[in-house]
Amino acid sequence: MFGYYLDLALHSFRRTPVLAGLMTLAIALGIGASITMLAVLHNLSGNPLPGRSDALFHPQVDPRPADLPGAKDEPPDDLSYLDAVNLYQLGVAPRRALMSSNWLPVRKDAQDSPLAMVTDRATTADFFAMFGVPFIYGSAWSAQDDASHAQVVVLSRAMNQQLFGGEDSVGRNLVIATKTFRVAGVVDDWNPQPRFYDLNDGAFGKAEQMYLPFFTWLDLPQDYGYGPMDCWGNDPNAGMHDPKAQQCTWAQFWVQLDTPAQVAGYRAALVQYSAQQHRLGRFQRPPNVRLAGLVDWLDYKRVIPVTVRMQTWIAFGVLLICMVNTVGLMVAKFLRKSGEIGVRRALGASRRMVFLQCLVEAGVVGVAGGLLGLPLAWLGLWMVRQQPVSFAASARFDPSMLGAALALAVLSALAAGVWPALRASRVAPALQVKSL
Amino acid sequence: MRIHRQIRPILAALRSHRAAVVLLMLEIALTMAVLGNLVFIVYGTIQRSHEPTGVAESEIGLIQSIGVIGQDNPGTVAGNLAAMRAAPGVADAAYGSLPLWWVDHNPLFLDASRQHPALHAYEFQGSQHLNSTLGLRVVQGHDFDDGELPDAMDVYMGKATAPIPALLTESLARRLYPDGSALGRILYDGTHGLRVIGIVDHLRGELTGSAGDDDSLVYEYHVSTQDVGGGFLVRSQPGRLPEALHAAAAALQKANPGHVQNKLYTMAELREGYFRSSLAAGRMLVAIIVILLVVTALGVSGLASFWVQQRRRQIGMRRALGATRGDIRHYFQAENFLIVTGGVLLGVLFAYALNLFLMQRFELPHLPAHYLLVGAVALWLLGQLAVLGPALRASNVPPVVATRSV
Repeated sequence: MFGYYLDLALHSFRRTPVLAGLMTLAIALGIGASITMLAVLHNLSGNPLPGRSDALFHPQVDPRPADLPGAKDEPPDDLSYLDAVNLYQLGVAPRRALMSSNWLPVRKDAQDSPLAMVTDRATTADFFAMFGVPFIYGSAWSAQDDASHAQVVVLSRAMNQQLFGGEDSVGRNLVIATKTFRVAGVVDDWNPQPRFYDLNDGAFGKAEQMYLPFFTWLDLPQDYGYGPMDCWGNDPNAGMHDPKAQQCTWAQFWVQLDTPAQVAGYRAALVQYSAQQHRLGRFQRPPNVRLAGLVDWLDYKRVIPVTVRMQTWIAFGVLLICMVNTVGLMVAKFLRKSGEIGVRRALGASRRMVFLQCLVEAGVVGVAGGLLGLPLAWLGLWMVRQQPVSFAASARFDPSMLGAALALAVLSALAAGVWPALRASRVAPALQVKSL
Repeated sequence: MRIHRQIRPILAALRSHRAAVVLLMLEIALTMAVLGNLVFIVYGTIQRSHEPTGVAESEIGLIQSIGVIGQDNPGTVAGNLAAMRAAPGVADAAYGSLPLWWVDHNPLFLDASRQHPALHAYEFQGSQHLNSTLGLRVVQGHDFDDGELPDAMDVYMGKATAPIPALLTESLARRLYPDGSALGRILYDGTHGLRVIGIVDHLRGELTGSAGDDDSLVYEYHVSTQDVGGGFLVRSQPGRLPEALHAAAAALQKANPGHVQNKLYTMAELREGYFRSSLAAGRMLVAIIVILLVVTALGVSGLASFWVQQRRRQIGMRRALGATRGDIRHYFQAENFLIVTGGVLLGVLFAYALNLFLMQRFELPHLPAHYLLVGAVALWLLGQLAVLGPALRASNVPPVVATRSV
């Protein structure tokens, strides 16, 4: 029966090409707009480190005063200096990375080589292994280097290209903020999106140009900033001259926990640490800890830009309008077939069969609209990529979106077809046959 | 008029196509709701991107110069500024904050106890000549007098003893002192006391579209032998900004070999960068508006051609009974006008509902009524345009059709 209905639908398509074409185009435009935004949304909310994300956790503690006006219940995103160092030394997790960022003046170790400001991430040795950062030359520094405040640096591929023309620069020297650093390694392009490990500067930014050991970095002159520092209280100068100020948070901290037992153990250790700090009088609040997994952390931080969320709503509004448009055209199309339907009914087709026949016709419109909508969505994504926005590079066409586009097209065409099909199936056979 | 007399038969005919007519009106109403709100958002962004900051934008450039700590540097801020002012084409120079680049947004207090912030405002701070470099217009009180400026180090360390002389924008003065008594009053930021010596007309720290953008204050401090890095501002002679900025940058680099000169910007470039992503989002919305208009036009003309085809015999009869081609064309045009009008009336409701939703979810301002009027006119025109083809085809139906059976 389905095959016959399909034949009828294709036949009706050929007989009223204009009306059918308009319906297809309307569905295609709606699908094109909404699939474009869905693809952007899908890529922006994707997992930045598939395969590793399940084992990565973001510990938070709450060192804020008990009576902070307007404070939320959630603890601060970042750690203060003291908590950062204490949690780093806690040593319960198999791997952990303490980090922050700023920019530093850098030049090659040669007479009169020009100075440039270079963005950096100060972190600890596990960062590279824990996040799976690929190396082209050399390797990460060691935990021993962290402990001894060694002056070593890991460069990004682009930075290595700029400074050393892309050659193996391991062992060469750089002058960073007037101190001499030895190149330990060069990492390949690595910039997971969203940039989960530090969302302070936006979730879809560029990767840093170089990496330094955290504790070595703290020894450098103090005036280049400490990432986006967040201080409470009314003192606007808090932390400006002393990153170790108690009321300022600026360090990010990540741990790797491989088993549920380790997660539970680490959570308990965080509570225990908070209770101990509370007893010492440093924490005024009772233990208020979080240990969010990577994906939960991104959810909590709502990393999807507000313009993308708004445009997604609007794109689905467009799809809705396209559907209303299609309903109107289908009513007209099925009305025109009243005579034909009357004959079918008079020859014994049940209402249900007529209804199904009309739905199949709607489904054919959906498939055609979906097929036409795919290139439109591809065009839409190309447009998004031309935009000077931080997330432009994420607007790629994902093969999984092909299926979604077709399914959405067929679903919306079927939804648009239900009511017109119901109306068509209620055609009184006698009346129609008479008017022939 | 003839069209006038056609309205009753049109309404009677529409009643027999109730479903299709209601759907078309619904589509037009939805289009109008989305269209009105999108045009509002896009137009608001464009308007915002042209809003003046209150400084002499076409003559201001910025040199970001960063001191390398621990590196020998003979330069001092006062020396740097003198070298920059001596460069060709430079009218004035200062060190300090610049709108759309970097300016603190701080709580202000009306009394020294600092218990309850009165409001938040942009605090522009910088060296002597900051005000003349920015080109602010003092409309009340007086400009800074170099003799009464506090010392830079006292300000940096929060050790200024007397309240620091400050200029307020008219907007900030009105909000802090609604009775108009701002001049001579003392207010407080987190660290200092500030004495109001004058009022400037406008100075916007950022252009977010909120009324608070224009709540700003300015104070200057006296720099001399310190070596600080940050934003060095250049005010050029009229029309000479590019050469003045480069000349000043070269002079600054020469006076300051220990600094990294990171970037040069003109105010126009800063503004371009500031609005880049909102204007990009606006372009996406324009694309969506175009799609919407196309889809609606397709729907209108699709249904209209269906109706024309369905009524060929009736049209032929009317023609045979003496109706002119114009009469037939007007019939379909009037029919379209009535349907679009119905859709527009419903659309007003939808547009406000959508606006309420967007206001709640995305903190958009209230939709002004004239956007709806523009949307209605656009949809009337679109409807007439879309129906023109089918209406012309209808008017070409020959009278002889009436005499033929199907």
